[in-house]
Amino acid sequence: MSTSLATESLPASLLQPAFADPVLDAQRSFRAALKALAGPGVAQSLLATQTPPHLEGLAAASHALCLALLDIDTPLWLAPKFDTQAIRANLTFHCGCPIVSDRQNARFALLDDSQLHDLSGFDLGNDRYPDQSCTLLVQLPSLQGGTQLAWRGPGIESKNHVSLPLQEAFWQERESRNDFPRGIDVFFVAGSELLGLPRSTQVAFKPQTSKGAA
Amino acid sequence: MNAATQPRPQAPRDEAYNFAYLDEQTKRMIRRGLLKAVAIPGYQVPFGGREMPLPYGWGTGGMQLTAAILGAEDVLKVIDQGADDTTNAVSIRRFFARTAGVATTERTPEATIIQTRHRIPETPLHADQIMVYQVPIPEPLRFIEPSETETRTMHALNDYGVMHVKLYEDIATFGHIATAYAYPVTVDERYVMDPSPIPKFDNPKLDMSPALMLFGAGREKRLYAVPPFTRVTSLDFEDHPFDVQKWEHNCAICGSHESFLDELILDDQGTQSFVCSDTDYCAQRVSQGRAVQ
Repeated sequence: MSTSLATESLPASLLQPAFADPVLDAQRSFRAALKALAGPGVAQSLLATQTPPHLEGLAAASHALCLALLDIDTPLWLAPKFDTQAIRANLTFHCGCPIVSDRQNARFALLDDSQLHDLSGFDLGNDRYPDQSCTLLVQLPSLQGGTQLAWRGPGIESKNHVSLPLQEAFWQERESRNDFPRGIDVFFVAGSELLGLPRSTQVAFKPQTSKGAA
Repeated sequence: MNAATQPRPQAPRDEAYNFAYLDEQTKRMIRRGLLKAVAIPGYQVPFGGREMPLPYGWGTGGMQLTAAILGAEDVLKVIDQGADDTTNAVSIRRFFARTAGVATTERTPEATIIQTRHRIPETPLHADQIMVYQVPIPEPLRFIEPSETETRTMHALNDYGVMHVKLYEDIATFGHIATAYAYPVTVDERYVMDPSPIPKFDNPKLDMSPALMLFGAGREKRLYAVPPFTRVTSLDFEDHPFDVQKWEHNCAICGSHESFLDELILDDQGTQSFVCSDTDYCAQRVSQGRAVQ
């Protein structure tokens, strides 16, 4: 496991403030995440006053989720796009989270849309402890604009129509790795909005004509 | 009997404690556990339970969850067996009023977080509410299989036949399913879950509820969740379908025939009286002019 906690090698000038109110802003971000995961497909917004100052490369909601959820117990995997000196320096300083280069060791991962065709390596948990799986934070340009899909499952009264701008490859990748109760939970983030996709949600992404509904 | 039912305004927070008592790293650990619990409905997530300033069995699990989710804008209601004015409920409400400075209420519709011991309010819940249950023994299989390793395997393998054997033994001994509280349920057709010692009367309220349900067991250090709009079915048999308690009596105070009733013994001759267990529901009916006589 290659962990780097080498903050000393990063210039202190990269550091910037985190939450203005570390206790209540973290709580508000968490509650937005809880609501997003308990109501899959419905976007939750964070208020500008509750999000941390802009960190180059991270959307406001990605940054807020990292500050709210990460600490020394949560190794983080960064997609190349987010593996910048500024992000490394600030997350290691404010969260204290180890940054790992190995997907298997990550409890959280920060991804952009270029990574979504291949989710191999992330921990899916095991049948006894499915909660030990990795949580993905996926930063997108927008939470709309893609093909409209129907989501069903816990947290959804009948079905939610969600049009995330994702390729079908992502849905295939997710389905091939979801073996309930094992699976991956995702937060999609754009700007100050976030949207939850727990492993329990069934997404009908295949055209009606193909055999074997999702 | 019932104290003022208006929301109590925010009192100044006791600055000697972190907001809502727990430290931030503990809250983060519980919060990450809660997210996984919501993603895997009915599955028991182990968490690093902390020592709370009251003994196990008084709601330490529920309090840790409440502390982890509570925010400054929340309005907290705490009930114990349906009542807002019992020792456990009063102490926990005061604890969070002091350590978090949050507003508290006895009115079910006004609360954003309801911590409960052994009841679900009679008043229907809404989508912006979170129920927090205090759980003594989170493992529904524990009385049949004492080994945690074994029960975890049984959950992993979806192997719940033994649970039906237990209910069948009830039928063989008593002629009906005699389990009246902590009646096991299946969540979203997968995990068998202990709904905490709520009366089975409350089990149907778990099914497709618009509110998020969180369960915390402090001594056993487990938390689990039922997301809103999730199928929760009580275990039963085709020829012995699940059924809830019914009473021949009405509430002696508000006359309700729909609510869960507590039996009161009034004298040495054993004279009975029945009153609503949900004090807020009862008080509201009385204030609407439904009082008996």
